[in-house]
Amino acid sequence: MAGGGGRADMEPLGGVHRLREEQEKVVKDCERRIQHWSKVSGDYEALSDRLKTLPDRLSYDIMVPFGPLAFMPGKLVRTNEVTVLLGDNWFAKCSAKQAQAVVDHRMSHVKKELEDLSKTRKNFESRVGLAKDLETMSASKGEYVDIREEVTTSVVTKGKQRIAHKPNSKPKLDVMLDLNEEEEEKDGGSSKGVLTEEELWRRLDELERLEELQDERDRLSDAADMNGEDSSSSSSEEEKEASSAPPVNGLSLKPGWSPAPPSSTPPPDRKAEDDDEEEEEGSRLPTIFFSHTVEPKKVRINTGKNTTLKFSERKEQKEHSKRKKKNGHSNGHAHHELHKITSPADIYRLFVDVRNGEPIPRKSILKSRSRENSVCSDTSESSAADFEERRVMGRSFSHDEATHSDTSDGITEEDSPTTVPPLSSSRFEAFSGTVIEKDPMPSGVPHLTIVPPALPTILERKQEEVASDVPEAPPKRLSKFKAARLQQK
Amino acid sequence: MAEAIQQKLKAELEKFSQVQKDVSKSMSVRQKLETQLTENNIVKEELGLLDSSNTVYKLIGPVLVKQDLDEAKATVTKRLEYITGEIQRYEALLKDMEKRADDHREVLTSLQQELQKAQAAKSPNCG
Repeated sequence: MAGGGGRADMEPLGGVHRLREEQEKVVKDCERRIQHWSKVSGDYEALSDRLKTLPDRLSYDIMVPFGPLAFMPGKLVRTNEVTVLLGDNWFAKCSAKQAQAVVDHRMSHVKKELEDLSKTRKNFESRVGLAKDLETMSASKGEYVDIREEVTTSVVTKGKQRIAHKPNSKPKLDVMLDLNEEEEEKDGGSSKGVLTEEELWRRLDELERLEELQDERDRLSDAADMNGEDSSSSSSEEEKEASSAPPVNGLSLKPGWSPAPPSSTPPPDRKAEDDDEEEEEGSRLPTIFFSHTVEPKKVRINTGKNTTLKFSERKEQKEHSKRKKKNGHSNGHAHHELHKITSPADIYRLFVDVRNGEPIPRKSILKSRSRENSVCSDTSESSAADFEERRVMGRSFSHDEATHSDTSDGITEEDSPTTVPPLSSSRFEAFSGTVIEKDPMPSGVPHLTIVPPALPTILERKQEEVASDVPEAPPKRLSKFKAARLQQK
Repeated sequence: MAEAIQQKLKAELEKFSQVQKDVSKSMSVRQKLETQLTENNIVKEELGLLDSSNTVYKLIGPVLVKQDLDEAKATVTKRLEYITGEIQRYEALLKDMEKRADDHREVLTSLQQELQKAQAAKSPNCG
C-alpha cells in the first residue's frame, strides 16, 4: 500500500488504483474475519444455552447421528460431565457449570477480537474512500481538480550570479530614453555584437542593469539582502540610486521624486554624511534599494523645472557637459560629470543648483532648497563657508569645461574661481555664522584658489583673494573674523 | 559482454528467489508459533480456572490420556516457554534472511542496469 501510495503522484491512475485495490483487499479480509468471529460467537451462545439446560435432566432420549446420513435413537447420560477442549489438544472434564465458565471466558475473548476487526474495517473503508477520491481527482473526472504547478528553475533560483563590478568600470552610456527598449531587447535575448567600443559599453551597461534588476528582485524577496556589489565607492552608489529608479518608474523622465523613495533618500543622506555614503547604499534599511534600476545610473533629482535629472557617467557627462555649455542645462546635468563622489568635496561639486542655466554650487547641502527648485538634496541657502560654495562652483565649472574624469577631484582644471563668485553672489543669502568645513576639501582644493585650511583666517584671506565679489556671505564672514582678529589685536 | 551480464543476472535471480522462499517459509512458521502461543495462553488460563476435581486429558493421537492437573499446568507452561523461544529464533532468522534478500536485490538491479547499458551500447553499434 505504501508503494502504491508513493507512486500515486507519478502515475496518478495506476498508483491510486493499486492503492485502492490494496485497501479494498484489507477491508475484505477484515469482513471475512468478522464473519468468522461472529459465527463463533453465535456458536458459543448456543453452547451456553445448552449447557444451562443440560443438567436439568439426568438423561435425554436423543437421535444420535450415525454417520452423515443415519440417526439412531440413544440416550444422553451423565449430563453434568462435560469434557472441555482447552486448546492445543488438552482436555478437561468439568461440570456443566465449570464448562459454562469456560465458555463465558472464551466468549469475552471472541468479542474482543470482533471489536478490533470492526475498527480496522472502518479505518480501511475510509481509506478506500479517500483513494477513490484521489483516483477521480487525478483522472480529472471528479469535481476536484488537482492543482499542479510547473516549477521554473529560473524563478526559483535565488543564488544569482554576481559579477564583481569595479566602480565605474564601464561608462554608462546614454540610454535614458532607450532604457525600456534596451530592457526589452535584453529580455528578448538580443545579443549585440561587439562591433564598436560604444556598443560594447552599451552591452555592458545593459548587463549591469539587468543584474541590478535581479539584485532588486532578490532583495525584494529576501528583504535583507544588502547589495554590496557596487557599493565599493560612492560613485557606484549613485549608479545604484539611479538604477533603482528605473524599475519603479520604467521611464527615464519622471517628475520629482519617483515612487522610488529609496533612491531619492540617498542623495540627501549622502550629502549629509560623507562617510556613510557607502553604508547608506541599501544597507541601513532593508527596504532601501539602490540598485533596482536598469536604467543607466542616474540620480533622479527634482529640479522643479526639469522633472528628473540623472547622473550618467562619462559619455553622458560629456554630452551633458557639452549641452550645458551650449544650453545651460538644469541642475541635473551639471551633476553628470560630478556624480562620482569620492570625497566630501565631491558632494558640493555634485549637488549644485542651476540658476539661469548655470550650475551654481550650494553653500550647504544639508539644507533643503525647496523654494529654489534646485537639486534634490536638502541643501538650502543657508550655506556653509563661502569657500565651499566657490569650491563647488569652481569644480562644477571646471568639470564642465574639462574632460570629465570620475576621480574624486574631478577638478583637474583650475577654473577661474573668479567666475564663480559672480554667480554665487546673486544666490547666496546672508549668513551670519560661518560654517567652515575643514575636511571636505582634501584634494580637490588645491585646484581652487580657495584652499580650505582649518583656520578661518586663512579662508578669509583666500576668500578675499579669490572672491573679488563674494557677496553678502563672504564679506560678512570676513568682517566678522576680521573684527575678531582686530579685537584680539 | 551482454550475454555474460545476462547469465550473471540469471544466477543472481535464482539466488534471490531462493532467499525469498526461505523468508516466506520462516514467516509462516513464525505465524504458526504465534497461534500456538495464544492457544497455550488460553489453556493456561483455563487450567487455572479448574480445580483438582476435574480430570484433565491430553489427546495423543486418537487416545485421550488422563493427566494430572498440576502436571498439565506445568506441561503447558513449559510449552509456552518453548514456543516463545522458537518465535525469537525464527525472528532472528527472518531478519537475516531479509537482509540477504535485500543484498541480492541490489545486485540484481545493478546487473540489470549494466545489461541495459550493454544493450544500449550494442544497439547503436549494430543499428
